[in-house]
Amino acid sequence: MASFEGFEYEVIIVGSGAGGGMAAHVLTEAGIKVLLLEAGRDYDPVTETPMFQQGHEAPLRGVSTSDKNFGYYDATVDGGWQVPGEPYSEAEDSRFMWWRARMLGGRTNHWGRLVPRFTPADFKPFSFDGVAMDWPVGYDEISPWYDRCEEMIGVCGDNPGLDDTPSSSDGVLLPPPKPRVMELLLKSACESLGIAAVPMRRAILTQPKDDRQACLWATPCGRGCSIGAAFQTTTSLLPWAMSSGNLKIVTDAMVREVHLNDEGQASGVTFVNRTNGEDMRIDGDHIILAASACETARLLLNSKSELFPNGLANSSGEVGRNLTDSLGAGVSGYIPALRDRPKYNEDGHTGNHLYIPWWDREGQKKGTLNFSRGYHFEVGARFGSPGMGIAGSADGYGKDAKDEIRSNYGTNIGLSLRGEMLVSDDCYCEIDEDTTDQWGIPVLKFHWKWSDQEINQVAHGLEWGRKIIEAMGGIVNNPDRTAEEAIEEGGQIIHEVGTTRMGDDPATSVCNQWGQTWDVDNLYVMDGGVFTTNPHKNCTLTILTLAMRNASRLAEQLSA
Amino acid sequence: MSTIYNSKMSRRESLKRIGTMGAVIMVGGIPVACDTAEPEVASLSSTPTQGHWPEIELEAITGPTYGTDPIISNPTVPWSLTLTDVQRDQLAVLSDIICPADERGPSATAVGVPDVIDEWVSAPYASQQRDRVHIINGLQWLDDEAQLRFNANFVSASSQQQIKIIEDIAYRSQYDVPEFEQGARFFSRLRRLVFGAYFSSPEGIEDIGYMGNVAIVGEYPGPTEEAMSHIRQVADSLGLPPITEYVVK
Repeated sequence: MASFEGFEYEVIIVGSGAGGGMAAHVLTEAGIKVLLLEAGRDYDPVTETPMFQQGHEAPLRGVSTSDKNFGYYDATVDGGWQVPGEPYSEAEDSRFMWWRARMLGGRTNHWGRLVPRFTPADFKPFSFDGVAMDWPVGYDEISPWYDRCEEMIGVCGDNPGLDDTPSSSDGVLLPPPKPRVMELLLKSACESLGIAAVPMRRAILTQPKDDRQACLWATPCGRGCSIGAAFQTTTSLLPWAMSSGNLKIVTDAMVREVHLNDEGQASGVTFVNRTNGEDMRIDGDHIILAASACETARLLLNSKSELFPNGLANSSGEVGRNLTDSLGAGVSGYIPALRDRPKYNEDGHTGNHLYIPWWDREGQKKGTLNFSRGYHFEVGARFGSPGMGIAGSADGYGKDAKDEIRSNYGTNIGLSLRGEMLVSDDCYCEIDEDTTDQWGIPVLKFHWKWSDQEINQVAHGLEWGRKIIEAMGGIVNNPDRTAEEAIEEGGQIIHEVGTTRMGDDPATSVCNQWGQTWDVDNLYVMDGGVFTTNPHKNCTLTILTLAMRNASRLAEQLSA
Repeated sequence: MSTIYNSKMSRRESLKRIGTMGAVIMVGGIPVACDTAEPEVASLSSTPTQGHWPEIELEAITGPTYGTDPIISNPTVPWSLTLTDVQRDQLAVLSDIICPADERGPSATAVGVPDVIDEWVSAPYASQQRDRVHIINGLQWLDDEAQLRFNANFVSASSQQQIKIIEDIAYRSQYDVPEFEQGARFFSRLRRLVFGAYFSSPEGIEDIGYMGNVAIVGEYPGPTEEAMSHIRQVADSLGLPPITEYVVK
């Protein structure tokens, strides 16, 4: 049993986001003492969330700036595409964007709360199409954990029974909100094309749960949620763990190195206190890394020893490799038939109520598609709070222009493709030997290159997105844009995973199916780094679920 | 604010104009020609000018930004406003030309649009600084153009004279007319700022009919009967399958 400032603990967790928050809750509930280190500052959504504040109350009407990349009211603290004093670099001809936050709860404070399940095929992609590697776990084993996780965090949605939408057990899901009229028109247009639009699963409480309130159908989730309706660890897992009396949280603690003892066991960490720049070395019997896929890889690669000269737990050489993000591309248009449509409150839970799951696994089986796996479309189509872009394509001036903007309000639709990229030797991160951050910690350098797989998939998505908008009677914006032009940058979708992947073979993977590193058996990874592949379905639910399962096993072992 | 203005009108171009314009021609606040021979110059002739654009060089604003951890539940603007009274007057006139009062809502100036634009162009962020160059040059161009056509600055020109100039830059099709391309691009940017600032104001939100940002207890009510009836008609007119509400399985 180690101790810090008089608090005795068995487990150190690095990171307080989805994986770290879940691990902290599961372990402390089982009576295990945990010390949680968070690189960012303390953060309290109850007092800090700008609920109901409007754009005109913020500088520059709340638009994005280099300080606040997702707008003034976005919850992210000291982060975004850049963290002050903590750079990263890109290899020549590589472009990668890395979103970080420096706050308790990490990126769970602002995420989209989209929580689709992976399918049986998603866990066994190699068995299905011979590309990449199978996960060391299958859907049947994870499914009950998905149920438990969904029940705990609170998920609204439905079980439409499609190939791409595995069902939750009865009674797990909360009811989804009614679709908005443009989503109903989209659904009808999709039906005409033989595909489906169904409720998006989101980690939003549509009914009250424990001490959290139900969604009040207003104020964007990206700001955080002071009433706990939109899931984030700072209104749920972390306060629950604190109330157990078994958790101590240390904020502003940026871990620079994991230490190894003579027996080859992880023995503790050194962190830098970001408020005064001083290093602090602490001991630990078990160490869980959940700093985010790339920060965890960076920490391992920076923890060098005689036993592991290429980085801790990196005998396979796979740490930092197999980095993937979701593919992103947008298709948009406007629907003339909806000009001057009747007004009503379309805020809902402020995300899409319906979305379009992937529909063509049959096409892949038959070999009619020129890419592996698939994508889904997220939908943006509603009367939103008018902002600085409201003039759209209005031309001229005066009353005519003013009326044109009024008539066009609520006629635009955006479809966001989120697709699966394949694991590639071209996409990875490593230590940039020439650059350190303000704490003297060597930074990451990213390597990135799209393959035909990604370009072909985006091209397919552009074609279908345009088809869907045209079926709605819409006029497509930028109809000639190519896939190469449309594809968003690596990292830009903020679903980066895979850098400490799990597998069945220690030679080709960093962790076993329990997130335990093959090389150091008291060292675990519980963030998205463990993903073997990156299905198009948003990653956070599976990060939470794996952390729940793997921390439960650790709790059993420690309690035995 | 430091401005260094170099007229991009050639000397020859300037002299050519003297014959028709006369009087003191001020461009960018600097007299470029003086001729009292033909005093009857200001008119509605509105002869389009040949290309000129002020190309005012501006020192970058380097004041404090709000940083990466502002108190977002209690917003403040840490930078000062920088436009001159003359520029703000110009913006006021232009804002109301772009967004006049009508039966559905007030004018741009009535909701403080010039203040929003001043805050915008005074912000020490790169994209707002690019807008600042656009806006300040555009305002100067309007004064120059008014001087050249009507021997008056833009604000003191008559409404008809102002509109004569605006008509030449108010449409994106004018990007293809060399002497108005820069002005038209300036106007497009200004139009977006003016309408953005107007419709995001409390009065503008009401005008456009945004009904959200209110707490609702219980289920999300979804579309009204009127909205449902309308969308059914739309689907029907597009030949789509009938609209059906999603039934939770």
